[in-house]
Amino acid sequence: MPCSIELKSVSQSFENISSASIASKVNASTITLFENLDLSIHQGQSYAITGPSGAGKSSLLMLLSGLEKPTSGQGTYLNDKQINDNHSSSLDNLRSEIGFIFQQFHLLPELTALHNIALPLKLRGDKQAIKKAKHWLEKVGLSDRANHKPSQLSGGEQQRVAIARALVFSPKFIFADEPTGNLDQHNANEIADILFACCKENNAGLIIVTHSSDLASKAQNIYCLANGELTKTSSTNSVNKQQDEEKQVASC
Amino acid sequence: MLKHQLQLAWYYFQQEYSQPHQKLLRWVQAILMIFIVTLTLSSNTIQHYLQGNLQNLLGADAVLTQKNKLTTKQLTLLENFSDKVVNTSQINTTLTFNGKWQSAKLKAVGNDYPLQGQLLTSTSLQSPAIVTNGGPLAGNIWLDSRLLASLTLSIGDVIKLGEQTFIVSKVLIHEPDRLMEGHNVAMRALVNKSDMKKLAFPADLIQHRYLISASKSQVQQLIDWQQEQLPAAHINHKLGAHPLALFWQRTENFLGLASIILFFMAAIAIEQIAQVHLKKEQYFSAICMSLGASKATGLQLSLFKWLINIVVLIPVVALLSGVFHWLVVSWLSETFAEITWQLELWLTAKTIATSVLLFAVFHSPVWLTLCQTSVSKLFHQNHKSMSLGLVKLCALLVLVLVAVNYSDNGLLTLMLVSSILITIILIVAISWVVLTLGEKTTQQFSGLVPFTFFMMKQRLLSKSTQILGIGLSTFLLLFTLMFLKDLGNTMGAYQRTHDGNVMVSQASQVEMNAIKKWSKEYDINLRQAKPYVYAKVVKINNQALNKFTTKPSDSLATLSHSIRLHWTQDIPKTNSLVQGTWWKKDAEKWQQISLEEEVMTDLGLDLGDTLTFIINQQSYTFTITASHVYKPGSGSIIFWVQMPQTAIQHINAPHYNMASLELNDDQWPLLGQLWQKHPTIRMVSLQELTKQFDAILAMVTKVISGFAVMIILLAIIVILSSINALEGKEKKKNSVIMSFGFLKKTCLQLNIIEWLITALIIAIGAIAGTYITGMLIYQSQFSLPYQPDFLILFITLTIILSTVTLLGIYASRHSLKSSVKQLMADN
Ligand SMILES: Nc1ncnc2c1ncn2[C@@H]1O[C@H](COP(=O)(O)OP(=O)(O)O)[C@@H](O)[C@H]1O
Ligand SMILES: [Mg+2]
Repeated sequence: MPCSIELKSVSQSFENISSASIASKVNASTITLFENLDLSIHQGQSYAITGPSGAGKSSLLMLLSGLEKPTSGQGTYLNDKQINDNHSSSLDNLRSEIGFIFQQFHLLPELTALHNIALPLKLRGDKQAIKKAKHWLEKVGLSDRANHKPSQLSGGEQQRVAIARALVFSPKFIFADEPTGNLDQHNANEIADILFACCKENNAGLIIVTHSSDLASKAQNIYCLANGELTKTSSTNSVNKQQDEEKQVASC
Repeated sequence: MLKHQLQLAWYYFQQEYSQPHQKLLRWVQAILMIFIVTLTLSSNTIQHYLQGNLQNLLGADAVLTQKNKLTTKQLTLLENFSDKVVNTSQINTTLTFNGKWQSAKLKAVGNDYPLQGQLLTSTSLQSPAIVTNGGPLAGNIWLDSRLLASLTLSIGDVIKLGEQTFIVSKVLIHEPDRLMEGHNVAMRALVNKSDMKKLAFPADLIQHRYLISASKSQVQQLIDWQQEQLPAAHINHKLGAHPLALFWQRTENFLGLASIILFFMAAIAIEQIAQVHLKKEQYFSAICMSLGASKATGLQLSLFKWLINIVVLIPVVALLSGVFHWLVVSWLSETFAEITWQLELWLTAKTIATSVLLFAVFHSPVWLTLCQTSVSKLFHQNHKSMSLGLVKLCALLVLVLVAVNYSDNGLLTLMLVSSILITIILIVAISWVVLTLGEKTTQQFSGLVPFTFFMMKQRLLSKSTQILGIGLSTFLLLFTLMFLKDLGNTMGAYQRTHDGNVMVSQASQVEMNAIKKWSKEYDINLRQAKPYVYAKVVKINNQALNKFTTKPSDSLATLSHSIRLHWTQDIPKTNSLVQGTWWKKDAEKWQQISLEEEVMTDLGLDLGDTLTFIINQQSYTFTITASHVYKPGSGSIIFWVQMPQTAIQHINAPHYNMASLELNDDQWPLLGQLWQKHPTIRMVSLQELTKQFDAILAMVTKVISGFAVMIILLAIIVILSSINALEGKEKKKNSVIMSFGFLKKTCLQLNIIEWLITALIIAIGAIAGTYITGMLIYQSQFSLPYQPDFLILFITLTIILSTVTLLGIYASRHSLKSSVKQLMADN
């Protein structure tokens, strides 16, 4: 039975206190990113979130992952076990079940590719860490670069390492914030294929924020966040409908 | 063009003014400069003060003593080795008045006396001492108070000496060159040079003394010259084995050592800060270049920006350090009235310039990197290039040169630098061993400790600069504290064992018992008491004394009078053995003596030679079986000739004693009481001398504690800046770990473990470094035996390290304020 994350009528807003208005709180303005937003995410499925810069996509990822709390509304995590007990729990319990992939890769510069991948396992005290990391390095096609430092790898290669690192400890959900934003078209395609394939193979839920319609179209569910509204634009993974989706993505 | 660039640099300087990395650099540079300048100014003032005071105790940089007057040619040569020479002569003579007589040391001086320090006299026994320039006029004589008392003279009386008459015109209170003459307790009288000629004493009884002011190197030249040309003469000098000379040398070396340590601490702090700057400047340069500027422009802008940064600081630094210097001086002047504040523009400028140079050297890797990089490289993550290491090595070299140049004790600086280098190598090796072993041994366990070992081992390169920075400053701190403690103890020991302020030169057995009783009764500190008999040398190797040697010498002159013959079973604490063997306990063979080394060489005597003494009208012959020499640090009562304790059973003669007492201010009046009952006790008050000495000790203690505080503060700055240097990386590491689904708590735990391991490495390195440095420096530079007290060492280290660890964890709290969201927003 797959797990899922549910956001029910959540709102997120920030007090924007500029330095000029510290003295007079009257001037403090509030930025509201979105209000009463509903979204549920299921393990094993893929989701794409598109939208203009500053719309609050990254903030939405933070809410989904439970790392930040919404201003109002609530997020719940439905675990297989808890569903049996007919219980849902807060998103705090999700923590160890999630992995992240960033636009800037964020590999640790002092560690080799292999050690970067082994890092989360080592932290968990897994004695098979290196073996598993090697396996994943192979999966992303970099077995010959195991001992290279991030500075010796190209952007695409670094992102592959980052993907392997995010998936190596078998999280149930992967959050990817513009994973191809720093890559050229060719690399972006390759990375996208690897990412989707690996998540599918691991039965991990993939939530991807992207500007690229190509990338978004690979997801089973596509959302667009703009002007505080989250709209679902498609819920199919059929390749035939790609043309349609592209138009829709472009228009949102 | 240049003007344009300067304007641009000014513009960017203003833009970056409030950015954290610029703020930090500014703070660190300002604090360091204020520190260094204040310290230099203060230690300069202290050094001057101490110098003035010690001059008062020593009276000259060197004193050459000879039986004969120097020839004109010799005097000209002597003047070549010195800045100024003042000639005095003295003779042991007996003064008589109204049928009373008293032997005294008569000294003849000119108008150029004293050379250094202050001559103090007074116009009556009751009136206060006044500083006097030049000796008595012809026909006048100045007598010390004891002499006045023993001959019941008063000011204005006329006494006769030979065929000459003299008016007693002043009370002689303090001659600054007295201490350098050795521990002489003879009563004293001062006359004019021209009168000495008129008195026409036999030339071979007059001792000529030349007070010399000279630099250290000149003194060394002088010693060489004397050994070659005037072997019969004797030189006393500030650098010699005199306890005060040693004290002065230690103080001087300590001030030098402290400034070098401060210099290195400053260098470490700057080096750590420069790491942060490297990235920022690269980024800035990249922007410039991407906007079409040339590489040179970026570099120039960076240079100008740095310069403006410093120039803006200089007035603040000069002002504040002036104020701090003033504060230090006024704090010290509460105790030492003569210390005054002075504006020291030249010294301030020189010190600021040195600091700026130092900062530039340690900032140079930033500029070098800018030189080497191209646009494309700039946008990639920076590579560790070999040449950067080379630059840092060069920077270290420059630092060493600056330090050697800055301090006037090159050897000490080099020793400290070598121990720093050894410590660096040690810490690097220890880090590698500890991390490798730690990783290997904990591999089969799971948990955070093995992970931390793994991470630290992987990040060895970037971690090692932090470990090195903190390790070095911990080492310097530990060494300084241990050294301060040892030095403080030694200085304290001076206070406890210096001569006491009353010297008893002759007390009969009855009188000695009275002194003992009296001191017990009033709780007066009787430091030493040593028995002797009077003995006169009549034959050496069965030859009459005047036949044995014709070469005039100090020793011969002394031996021609009765000397004090001391008996002792063990070698006294004030002596060390230089030749022969000391007699065994309860020596059956009692007719053996130990002779002072100088007397041996003066008379050309060897072990096995015999001396015949007349003791209480009986003749005794002794064989020389040992030779001893004065050892400073445990008092000043010493004897030229010593014999086994068993000998005293075979000799029938009255016993006398020498003793030293320490009286506090309230106890002085009690002295009269003792003297009244036992008027024949021969005593000298050294109150004047010891007061000055105690004041200097108090000052040095104050200064030492002040230095400790400053070095601790500086160490904290270094540690904070080295943490700041790695903050960015730490932040990222923590965020990444949190993105794997871990809590902040885990990051904190990792952080604590990491700091504990770091502390462990630093502990081993600092202990080893301190030990090696102690071995290198203690004996050779401070004549201190190196006996590290490991318990105290460990306790100090534990305190330092727990502080470091807590400080480290506290300061890394910033890097814990990271979040996954920052990784998303990060560019
Ligand atoms: N912690 C915060 N405090 C204040 N403002 C924030 C905070 N986090 C995000 N914002 C603001 O919310 C807006 C949306 O940010 P983000 O979620 O990163 O958008 P997107 O990822 O869609 O570009 C931005 O204008 C940002 O300044
Ligand atoms: Mg974003």
